Amino acid sequence: MLIGIRDMAKLFAISVVCCCAVFVCALFMNYNIDIGAVKDEITTPMGMVIYDAVVATGKVVVGVSGGCLAATTVVLLIFYVKNYIDSHGKELGILKALGYSDMRVAGHFWVFGISVFIGTGVGYAGAMGYMPNFYEAQNGEGLFPDIDPEFHLGLAFCMIVLPTVFFMLLSVFYAFFKLKSPVLGLLKESRNVKIKKGKFDDKDLPFLSDLKRNTLKSRKSLVFFVGFSAFCFSAMTQMSMSMNELASDTFSWMIISIGLILAFMTLLMSLTSVVKGNGKTIAMMKVFGYSRRECSGSVLDGYRPVTYIGFIIGTAYQYFLLKIMVDIVFADYEDMPDYSFDFKALAISLVTFIAAYEIILYIFGRKLDRQSVKSIMLE
Amino acid sequence: MIEAREITKFYGQGESRFQVLKNISLTIEDGSFTVILGTSGSGKSTLLNTISALERPDGGNIFYDGEDITALSDSELTRLRRDRIGFIFQQYYLLPNMNVMQNVKMGADLVKPAGNKDYREIIEAVGLGEKLKKYPGELSGGEQQRVSVARALAKKPKILFLDEPTGALDEETGRQVLDYICALQNEYDFTVVMVTHNQNIAEMADTVIKMNSGKISEIYTNDTRKNAYEIGW
Ligand SMILES: Nc1ncnc2c1ncn2[C@@H]1O[C@H](COP(=O)(O)OP(=O)(O)OP(=O)(O)O)[C@@H](O)[C@H]1O
Ligand SMILES: [Mg+2]
Repeated sequence: MLIGIRDMAKLFAISVVCCCAVFVCALFMNYNIDIGAVKDEITTPMGMVIYDAVVATGKVVVGVSGGCLAATTVVLLIFYVKNYIDSHGKELGILKALGYSDMRVAGHFWVFGISVFIGTGVGYAGAMGYMPNFYEAQNGEGLFPDIDPEFHLGLAFCMIVLPTVFFMLLSVFYAFFKLKSPVLGLLKESRNVKIKKGKFDDKDLPFLSDLKRNTLKSRKSLVFFVGFSAFCFSAMTQMSMSMNELASDTFSWMIISIGLILAFMTLLMSLTSVVKGNGKTIAMMKVFGYSRRECSGSVLDGYRPVTYIGFIIGTAYQYFLLKIMVDIVFADYEDMPDYSFDFKALAISLVTFIAAYEIILYIFGRKLDRQSVKSIMLE
Repeated sequence: MIEAREITKFYGQGESRFQVLKNISLTIEDGSFTVILGTSGSGKSTLLNTISALERPDGGNIFYDGEDITALSDSELTRLRRDRIGFIFQQYYLLPNMNVMQNVKMGADLVKPAGNKDYREIIEAVGLGEKLKKYPGELSGGEQQRVSVARALAKKPKILFLDEPTGALDEETGRQVLDYICALQNEYDFTVVMVTHNQNIAEMADTVIKMNSGKISEIYTNDTRKNAYEIGW
């Protein structure tokens, strides 16, 4: 098989994202379906009011977290497929040169969808297991009739099979689209490098500043991904802290933990790619005797401003998304929950982000330091 | 002077662990031209990487002017490479996102105090004056090899390590590059250690070290050195 177990293991992050998304969505949707079935048995006016609020909150949580996480998965998956093709250009190019059709090669990429299947499956199973506790917590004041979680086949289908098939097709078609480039383009090692001539080209700048600029210019997809991961980090942590106030107490910690796990996963992934993508350059600089500070200064530091931009956009995005969701769902609900910008969440998120970013890069830097120069170049 | 004593090096682990360098001892004089000859897989590149402080040996010591470099920390080794050593690799290892000029500047900028301002002349001398703005992906194998030669020379090293520098070059260009390296050696008096499987190039050397499956099978010195245009190819 073309795509090995080790490549699949790298998709772990996608499984985690899918797992969290399905876990949260399945809990709330299952509950909304089950409680809807016994709606008529709720008699007290107080009960009706709470009922509406609970159902509406469920919709907000599902819409926000499901939508946000689905988008994250799409970006992650496309990034992976692209990365895989870029780094396995030689093998793929040889297959093409031998006469395999694009579709036949691209067909192999369906296996990337397995990670989605595993993630959604585990997430759904986890949700089913946790449901009794969740149902009890949702009915904390005993205003609704006691209900037991039912298994809904249609929901399971939508949560597991649909995403899996969707992401399998996405991988195959994206791979097909990427493989359309000519054989030689795939075979040639440094094919990824397309640098537009810029205004600095004719200036005689020092090597290190040229390097800093070209590192960013030559791998725009990586720059985007790093920015995106900062965006996710900022949106997910702040959103989970803000949603806190919408959800019941038992659940708030869970949402925050999920937000944090996902935030760290995406950040870790993007920084791994940064270090991996620039490992050879750093190795070569080490051979020549450039110090660690010079290496990280010109190769890795360039990404830092990008992360701050991503972080700011993420902050704005989560604010407006939550606000709009709350406005829509609670539109004809008198006691509309007050939703305003959460500065505390922003501060916590920003501090965590900076700390995580610097620590991860520091650890990777140490790891690169210890690795022998030759082993990095051979990879 | 570089002195290696009883160097050993292993690759792999457990069952597949196997010894690439078997108790190698040798001396390389300052300003000399040493050639390491041997069949493919005999451990030439490994030996070169080990004595040039790129890889640590598993046993034995390497002395640079009497200083044991196997005892140095990573950052001290980096300093050592920065101040003294130039490399030309079998696989070139150019930075793909930097053009010819920028790749050469990677070496040139390390010359103290303000960088080597003559790097353009070096690029001219290896015959790439017309391709300053090309990226490695746009160059032929031989052209990339010459960029890597220029990059190492621009650093004005005290010791130049070369791994098959003429492997990808045709006879004419190969001779030109070797000749240029010798000319610079005469001018700046640096040490050259070159790995090759081309017997003829050995005639350009002071000292020839022959390797066979991880061991030195023969060391001899040439009384007269031929220049790059006198040797066969
Ligand atoms: N990283 C590595 N891991 C395991 N084995 C290795 C590694 N690098 C080299 N070898 C093995 O060590 C032996 C010597 O390799 P080396 O590259 O030094 O050979 P060489 O003499 O330079 O050959 P060539 O002329 O083909 O370049 C070979 O048998 C090779 O398979
Ligand atoms: Mg070799």
